[in-house]
Amino acid sequence: MQRRQKVIVYALMTLVMIFFLGPILWFILLAFRHPSEAYTLPPQLIFEPYLGNFGDTFVDPGNNAPQLLSSVIVSSGATLLSLPFALASAYALSRFAMRGKEFIMNWYISLLIAPPIVFVIPYFILMSRIGWAGSYQAMIVTLQTLAIPFSVWLLKSFMDEVPLDLEEAAWVDGANRFAAFFRIIIPLALPGIIVTSMFTFVFSWNNVIFPLALSKQSTTTLPVGAISFFASTGVYWGHIAATAVVAMLPPMIIFLLLGRYVVRGLTFGAVKG
Amino acid sequence: MKLRIRLPYLLLAPSVIVLLALILYPLAFALRNSFWFWNLQMGPAPLYYSGLDNYRMVFQVTPFGVALKNTLLLGFLGTFAQFWFGMGIALLLHTHLRGMGLMRALLIMPTTLAPVVAGFLFRYLLEPKGGLLPWMLTGIGFPVPPQGFLGNANTALFSIGAVDTWQWTPFFAIVLYAGLLSISEEVKEAAQVDGASAWRMFWSITLPLLRPIAAFLVMIRFMQLFNSFDLVFVLTSGGPGVSSRTLSFNLYREGLVNYNIGATAAMTWLVVIIVSVIINLYLFFIYRKREW
Repeated sequence: MQRRQKVIVYALMTLVMIFFLGPILWFILLAFRHPSEAYTLPPQLIFEPYLGNFGDTFVDPGNNAPQLLSSVIVSSGATLLSLPFALASAYALSRFAMRGKEFIMNWYISLLIAPPIVFVIPYFILMSRIGWAGSYQAMIVTLQTLAIPFSVWLLKSFMDEVPLDLEEAAWVDGANRFAAFFRIIIPLALPGIIVTSMFTFVFSWNNVIFPLALSKQSTTTLPVGAISFFASTGVYWGHIAATAVVAMLPPMIIFLLLGRYVVRGLTFGAVKG
Repeated sequence: MKLRIRLPYLLLAPSVIVLLALILYPLAFALRNSFWFWNLQMGPAPLYYSGLDNYRMVFQVTPFGVALKNTLLLGFLGTFAQFWFGMGIALLLHTHLRGMGLMRALLIMPTTLAPVVAGFLFRYLLEPKGGLLPWMLTGIGFPVPPQGFLGNANTALFSIGAVDTWQWTPFFAIVLYAGLLSISEEVKEAAQVDGASAWRMFWSITLPLLRPIAAFLVMIRFMQLFNSFDLVFVLTSGGPGVSSRTLSFNLYREGLVNYNIGATAAMTWLVVIIVSVIINLYLFFIYRKREW
């Protein structure tokens, strides 16, 4: 490639990176600004960092600290609950020739792209009828409409890569299907199981529609908590930013750790990155 | 040998049963209550059978037509913009110059955010007084509506689409880049030997080979845009007026703000039917040849 072309490519990529990362950095700075300086124009890039926004939201009075815990409980709960269901189904779809396989796979994906709001309102009524209104389990169970189909697709793509020979060798050695599943498939697909769990965790973490309708004040999650700072008395940008920055960190770190699996996860295993 | 046949179905059963229960309940609930008058503000149970009144209410009382138009517009424009911006960036990444690996890893950050958080970012950036973007745009002489882009009926919906495009263009970029990597060098070399220009190669070789991936991405993203709720909720609440209301937001308003469960149930079925028609039309046109 010629020097001039390289310069053009780098110039364009610089613009691309500023465009996509600039808003995030600008918002992170907001979390460290004193509330009185949220709107200072022309913008100040150098300023004395102020930690009070984090103090107010997570320490004293710290109303958002329990929401952080709720987010962890709901996301981990949804991930753990989906795993056994998804492992069994992904194994079946990966290892057996059966009628209707393509139909089942498409059915799972149709759930992933269906409008969640359609389910949420009936769940809202259902949960108050069975005494689960505002409970963690209400959110964890209903999130399965997304967590299970997603995990089935992604896990299947990982299990497809475990060679059948290894499993057959175990059968020859006298292991039955169950033993072979736990001794061969689970260990060899373990990286895939971890990757799948991390994605399910992130998607549950970032979900707002279920907790918005199904949580109560003491069980609500961090992103929903941040919304409440759009009060009728004004917008508390410092508090929104502090809460949102804490809420955005786990997904960002997980995506950086996932590295080459990001493409696969975001496409439910359909595109191997 | 009986077990061998039954085993895969036995393994599928738990997830299928759980999911069926989780879907059929809301759909049956909505079907039944779409024919009953039921407002939670007036009582905890349906009041009386009301025939098709709820369906009439959806069209006459809620801005269903506007919401449908907005939803489709958002879906088409958003998917189109994200696909082509993403393709452009994928081609830049594909030059494999030094540093592209790191940039690719960082580029995906917007997609990792919760949509509500992306909403916060841009609500702050777009504040009519004190927001960075209106300040910069005014500086270069670009007209900014006095109520801000989110407070103007002509720009609110497009602003939502722009924020979604900011968030999801990186997704298209890195997945299409992965697609570019999977195109074999031999095919490209053969075309080069035949004297094809870079432009011609892109349209005649690269794009057709990316078709299976592109078709999948477009379907997923179109539907996610079609379901837009979080961004609408944070950025405009469907306003000003109903100018940026989407179908999902309309459902939310009627169900969890007005507590009109009957009309919400009727709307649920209308939306389910619209979504099924769209998905099946898409599958019919794109996957007639079964490419994945």
